[in-house]
Amino acid sequence: MNDDQPRIDGLARITGRAVYVDDLVRPRMVVAKFVRSPHPHATIVSIDLTAALAVPGVVGSMVGDELPVKFGPIPVGRDETALAVGKVRYVGEPVVAIAAVDEETAHRACRLVNIVYEPLPAVLTLDDALAEDAPLIHAEKRKATNVLRRVHQSHGDVDKALAGAAVVIERAFSYPGSTHVPLEPHAALAEVEPDGRLVVYASTQNPHYLHKDLAVVLGLPEHRVRVVKPAVGAGYGGKCDPTSVEICSAFLARKLGRPVKIALEREEVFYQHRGRHPAVMWIRLGLNADGSLAGIDFKAKAAGGAYASYGVVTAYYLGVFLTLPYRVDHVRFETLRAYTNEPPCGPKRGHGAIQPRLAVECALDEAAAALGLDPAAVRRQNAVPDGHVTANGLVVGTCGLVRCLDAVVLASGWNERRGKLGPNRGLGIAASSYMCGALHPVYDDAMPQSAAVVKLDRSGEVVLFVGTSDVGQGSSDVLARICAERLGVDVGLVRVVEGDTSLCPVDLGSYSSRVTFFAGNAVIAAADAAKKRLPEGVPWLAAIQQAEESGGTVVGVGSYSPPKVGSRFKRQSVGPSPAYSFTAQVAEVEVDPETGITRVVKVWCAHDVGHALNRGSCEGQIEGCVYMGVGEALYEEQAYRAGVVKAPSLLEYRVPTVHETPEIVPILIETFEPAGPLGAKEVGEGPQLPTVPAIANALYDAIGVRLYDAPFTPDRVRKAVLAASKGAR
Amino acid sequence: MLPLPRFQLSRPTSLADALIAVADGAVVIAGGTDLLPSMKHRLFEPARVVSLAGIASLRTIVPQERGLVLGSGCTLRDVARDQTVLRLFPALAAACRTVATPTIQAMGTIGGQVALDTRCVYYNQPAGWRQSVGGCLKKDGAVCHVAPKGTGCYAAHAADTVPALWLYDAVIQLASTAGDREVPLRDLYGDDGRTWLGVRPDELITSIALPAPASSVVHRKVRTRAAIDYAALLVAVSRSDQGLRAVVSAVGPRPIEVAAATPEALAEAAHEAVRPLGTHLHPVPWRRALVRIEVLRAVNGLISP
Repeated sequence: MNDDQPRIDGLARITGRAVYVDDLVRPRMVVAKFVRSPHPHATIVSIDLTAALAVPGVVGSMVGDELPVKFGPIPVGRDETALAVGKVRYVGEPVVAIAAVDEETAHRACRLVNIVYEPLPAVLTLDDALAEDAPLIHAEKRKATNVLRRVHQSHGDVDKALAGAAVVIERAFSYPGSTHVPLEPHAALAEVEPDGRLVVYASTQNPHYLHKDLAVVLGLPEHRVRVVKPAVGAGYGGKCDPTSVEICSAFLARKLGRPVKIALEREEVFYQHRGRHPAVMWIRLGLNADGSLAGIDFKAKAAGGAYASYGVVTAYYLGVFLTLPYRVDHVRFETLRAYTNEPPCGPKRGHGAIQPRLAVECALDEAAAALGLDPAAVRRQNAVPDGHVTANGLVVGTCGLVRCLDAVVLASGWNERRGKLGPNRGLGIAASSYMCGALHPVYDDAMPQSAAVVKLDRSGEVVLFVGTSDVGQGSSDVLARICAERLGVDVGLVRVVEGDTSLCPVDLGSYSSRVTFFAGNAVIAAADAAKKRLPEGVPWLAAIQQAEESGGTVVGVGSYSPPKVGSRFKRQSVGPSPAYSFTAQVAEVEVDPETGITRVVKVWCAHDVGHALNRGSCEGQIEGCVYMGVGEALYEEQAYRAGVVKAPSLLEYRVPTVHETPEIVPILIETFEPAGPLGAKEVGEGPQLPTVPAIANALYDAIGVRLYDAPFTPDRVRKAVLAASKGAR
Repeated sequence: MLPLPRFQLSRPTSLADALIAVADGAVVIAGGTDLLPSMKHRLFEPARVVSLAGIASLRTIVPQERGLVLGSGCTLRDVARDQTVLRLFPALAAACRTVATPTIQAMGTIGGQVALDTRCVYYNQPAGWRQSVGGCLKKDGAVCHVAPKGTGCYAAHAADTVPALWLYDAVIQLASTAGDREVPLRDLYGDDGRTWLGVRPDELITSIALPAPASSVVHRKVRTRAAIDYAALLVAVSRSDQGLRAVVSAVGPRPIEVAAATPEALAEAAHEAVRPLGTHLHPVPWRRALVRIEVLRAVNGLISP
């Protein structure tokens, strides 16, 4: 692969020429704004739009009753409506949409909407949600409970394994909720084409699923809907769900007969949320005397907010990856995801697999310390081998974890420096594994999950049609490189047409770290099929022209369905993947013991990426993952006060700036996964998994105190230091 | 995008015209770095806004025989880079460089710092958010959520440069159509977050006079991130022939000054005098604990600059 060429979309993005949804303007276009609920839980008594509709420039409105069709990103969790119907379930839930000739007018009109609410008792904590007599957030559901999903799995005999362990660590942990903070807030522009077909331009990770959801909710045949995804300013999981933004813009465009744009303000992104589930966790983890992992007994409860989103899947992810990256035959977990009267949680980078890493990696560190073992060596000893099948049936292909651990140990000077950095400075280590795409799509069918069409133009240009959604991560660049590599041409010849459900073959979207792996394999198949049309030993242009003379337009079609690997344990559809990536990280921290202010100085991250198809992009993903992990470890929390988001702004929701971002040393480990496209695996999510526990373990090395509750704020660190110094006296 | 409310903007080129505008009820905009976000949050919806950008005389830094006079329209960047400021009032230059970000420092003015609105997590929020908590005492509500049993507003002073200006004995020059007056900065602020600023609506801050420095000053700002953030705590200390003084801010509507003979006594006095409340997202006990630590650190900075 040619690493010297910049990303194909790089120049457009950094020069501001990439076109995002909010850049799009249409003749007669209007903009819509939402009126949002000020209550966490309340009955809607009445809605009076008279004053709002009388504002000059207001062209229309929408209320929940006009479109009560329920939707949600997965079939088992369809409990949302485009606007609240009957009652509101969180502060910030959209209740009314007002369309006007410009944003300012819409805003002014929204303030004149008069909604009468009757407040209901609100469920504001996990304990509230699980209480016997808790108010029901979704009373319409069959079961009278606020629990969306409980998952309970047991493999081997955990109690016996832990009873025989040399050391068992039992601890409670908590992991904060956090939000994605994509630079581009959610936006959609919907218009009805002259022939009546609906086109929705949307900032989405999943154009295909959105397409299907729009058809269902609006009652349209799927072939009358088209979703186009222009340039997107990141998602991190926050743009997976179908939302009020796309659905209301589409509904209003049809109702008003005018193009309608909705672009969220930053504050609104905090309400729409779908971010990391806050989780309270409990773990018992045992090590045998020889350092092998005896067993893991784990419980987690996640507060999920007012709607399901992908929460059923989250409940599984909290448990199913406990069997990686270490060999463990005895595992038991009980997880649940509950409703609360808060903005809905959903998928965020490392979906559901991040929270348990804190518990496992910190407990493992503590257990290793209790046995006097080196934390890095214990991890190395327990790493799963190539081809391992986990206790819950996950089939590992290649595993580069030992190489990852050795690389970060070497690069960080672990053996020489740990424990010798002087007071208040320390090193910590953690490791993880992540999937390369969910094996099972959100709806079950036998069709391919990714497809590609490669057209070789008589001009020499290669046009690659893929239904993927490049949200800034560089998927189009990687797919173009794969295509160019297979065709034996320069990547500069490849034009990628993607993110358009009419022009492109289906791809399920940018989620579960699947795009390079799934779409990449589809592109290989398509490129190879196109190349087969070309005569051999003929220069590029002549070859295409000869092929076209003999057989018409030169097109190759390819698709990818993942192999049905794994013993679908209990018909478990969450966790299985065609391959798994592996990561090891060492973090170095410095603590001010008086103020508790902690700085992450440096992070070494080695990631088994299979084969780096674009080294710059791979390193960028590692840096982005570590950055996001540092934010969750020290700075960020989507926190609420009586159901109200405490800090719906980038002033007070404190993502790290360049000053807080540590020096990051990305190390790419290549294991050439046979199932992967040109040997590649995922790199977009996995590298975030170890960051928070690596920092927690480094804090222990620095100050001799273990912290079990993230984020490790100055207040918490200071208290821990004070408590330790009292204990020492 | 969060739109601004509609307003009429005037851009006079003379101070006299600006004074007529404010006497007539216009709200002043200088750098706009605080006013515009607040207007977007609908904390202010003035019908008329008068910009000071066109008045050249407000943007001068004039060295005096021993001190200097800063025009209120000087940007924080102007102040931080001025050679006389750097030589005579280094803690002021340092404080300017801790404000928000370089882009804000290039827009925000020193006059805006002196007149900066008090801040609170219940106040500096978008209109819809404030509606969801029923407003607060400072805006649209009847209760101070920070101290529900109290009668006052505890929104906190937030200007990063004010503790240093205070210890440099700054004097604020005010002008209005009714006449000019001078107020020592330390007398400018009140005890309620709504009425904290002793400047009448018809008055403009024209300049800040700094007499010859009688003491060395060290400024410290505690914040989560090394850029963007408002202070969790502000501390400035000075040493002069009279002893040690400390000004602690970001803890209530007005900065609090204490004096003592020794660093330990100064830290203790500050700790006793300061009662932070929940105006910030940071936990209150942590902010209080920091007072003693930061005063001592600031004094250490004096000893070994």
